[in-house]
Amino acid sequence: MPVIDVHSHVTPPSFREAVLGGHTWHTLTDAIGELEIPEFSISAADRIAKMDAAGVDMHVLTVNNDFYRYELDPGLTQEIARACNEEIGEMMACHPDRFTGLATVPMQDVERAVSEMEFAMAKLNYRGITINDHVNGVTFDDPRFYPFWEAVESLGAVVFFHQCGPTLVKARTSRYALPNSIGNLVDRAVTFGTLVFGGIMDRYPGLKICLGHAGGYSAFGAARMDKTWRAADMGVPEFADAKSIPRPPSEYLSRFYYDSCTYTEDTLRFVIDAVGIDRVVLGTDYPAPMVQDDPVTWLNGLPGITEAERTAILETNPAKMLGI
Amino acid sequence: MNPPSALGIVDVHAHVTPRCFSDAVLGGADWHGMTSADGELHNPMNRWTLEQRIEAMDADGIDVQLTSPTDVFYQYHREPAATDRIARSVNEEVAEMVRARPDRIAGLGTVPMQDPDRAVAELSRIVGELGMRGVMIDDHVNGHTYDEPQFDQFWAAAAELGALIFVHQYAPTSVEARIDRYFFFNSVGNLVDRTLTFGALVYGGVMDRYPDLKVCLGHAGGYTVFALDRMDQGWRAFPSMRGATLGPPSSYARRFTYDAVTYEPRTLRYLVDVVGADRVVLGTDWPAPMRVVEPVRRLSETGVLAPHEVESILRGTAAMLLGDNDRKAHETCP
Repeated sequence: MPVIDVHSHVTPPSFREAVLGGHTWHTLTDAIGELEIPEFSISAADRIAKMDAAGVDMHVLTVNNDFYRYELDPGLTQEIARACNEEIGEMMACHPDRFTGLATVPMQDVERAVSEMEFAMAKLNYRGITINDHVNGVTFDDPRFYPFWEAVESLGAVVFFHQCGPTLVKARTSRYALPNSIGNLVDRAVTFGTLVFGGIMDRYPGLKICLGHAGGYSAFGAARMDKTWRAADMGVPEFADAKSIPRPPSEYLSRFYYDSCTYTEDTLRFVIDAVGIDRVVLGTDYPAPMVQDDPVTWLNGLPGITEAERTAILETNPAKMLGI
Repeated sequence: MNPPSALGIVDVHAHVTPRCFSDAVLGGADWHGMTSADGELHNPMNRWTLEQRIEAMDADGIDVQLTSPTDVFYQYHREPAATDRIARSVNEEVAEMVRARPDRIAGLGTVPMQDPDRAVAELSRIVGELGMRGVMIDDHVNGHTYDEPQFDQFWAAAAELGALIFVHQYAPTSVEARIDRYFFFNSVGNLVDRTLTFGALVYGGVMDRYPDLKVCLGHAGGYTVFALDRMDQGWRAFPSMRGATLGPPSSYARRFTYDAVTYEPRTLRYLVDVVGADRVVLGTDWPAPMRVVEPVRRLSETGVLAPHEVESILRGTAAMLLGDNDRKAHETCP
């Protein structure tokens, strides 16, 4: 079976060329797209050479998160999304055995989001979508998203959560890269909690959700969420809606997929033990500065990870999640 | 110096809502601008007498409680002089509890952190004159984090006095900007804020500048031990953003102590694996609704700790944190 990396990004080459040439690209400028890292936009052939060197057979391509643009007019966001999805879709079409993808959609307009998701999956062979941890501050327990989840479930779409823009940490500090190194993981834990306590996982039992960056602090943080679920029985008013679900949140951990984007064996081991080995999928964050470099060699070198676990993470689980 | 066992089993994370406050506000009066909406008075245990507190400790098998004022008494947002008055009243009541039962109660105070001069003066008074062990502080001071240099004189004084700094959030935590439901401000937010405090103290160079500083991170340090993984990667990936650190964040993990408020064996085991049992100390968060129930029995029977690790968490680490000051506390008894 192929080794599949579910967490890799692309900044559309046509965007890079346009904005570095002094033009705009669907109104967007060189302020976004992490242009200081050209590898986001390398050619398919060069990317495949990098994959070969790392022993990775397939990249699940997602656009660089700067291209979500949920804050713009929904029509414009959809135009940007379509341009991204078509350009990356072309990489997928030319190299179907090396690339598949998760599309971007205008989440601030649920109807458009659903129609773009349907288009991307039906016409461009995407396996699902990548979305932010919130939509302009609105979290995914909000009833306005119920039709979205219904469509996701009926299409069998994979939903990959990946933050964008200022994380919750930014309100406290901008220093030492903590908005990324801590913030990404905070935002993901809040997403886990929101989907669970908001009843989304119960309403839509067929959802296939993958939490990027190993789910952030979800696996480690479930213990305190469980405690609030139990403490809600004490009748303290603030706790009331911490009892909104039939089972403690930790029992929902195994309902999600988690990429393996961690950097130490102890952390990966904790995630595997908490969520189950069948829920962890290779994800590297290529080519971001925080990439999990040379993931196959890294995994092979971890003495506490068994061969069966490595095969599950690298091959079996990603294929099952994506329907490959 | 007393042998470590002299302290017995110590709970470093337990709170008191002072009666000087609750008697006033429950009588309908305003207390330094605070009201009955403060102090978690809906929880009857926050109005218990010292005798009731000690009965609860007896039932739980706790020998000594390191009692700290409830977080609402920080009041850093007020005029420093007003916060100082609140802190002095609260601290005097905690000191009175210590004087009444020095064998059972050790005290942490609160200080006006928004005014470091006053904070140092009150810290010196409560440790030097009132026999208290240190202070509990918020994860930030009106949005300012502890890497900022205005706090240096406070760390210097704390290190010099041998005072213990116990870090504990006050609402709202940084999660509330996203969502105000499902009690996340507490269940997620407390742990986020503590992780950021670890980051601020480490990247700000505080732990290096004050090598004798004793900092205990409440709620097991929040996500800190799990977060070192990506913090270290950030440290490697962004060399220009290393602040004042001399090594990766994980190399500072053992510079702190962590209470054992974890609720789940896997989480506690991970904490002990990362920092060592000699850096973990019993804490319960008594009498909050989130308190660890039957803490001593649960810790002893968790099934994931060796006997010597249990001993460290129940007695050894606390003796290291508090033992040096033990005699001094007794000498101040009337």
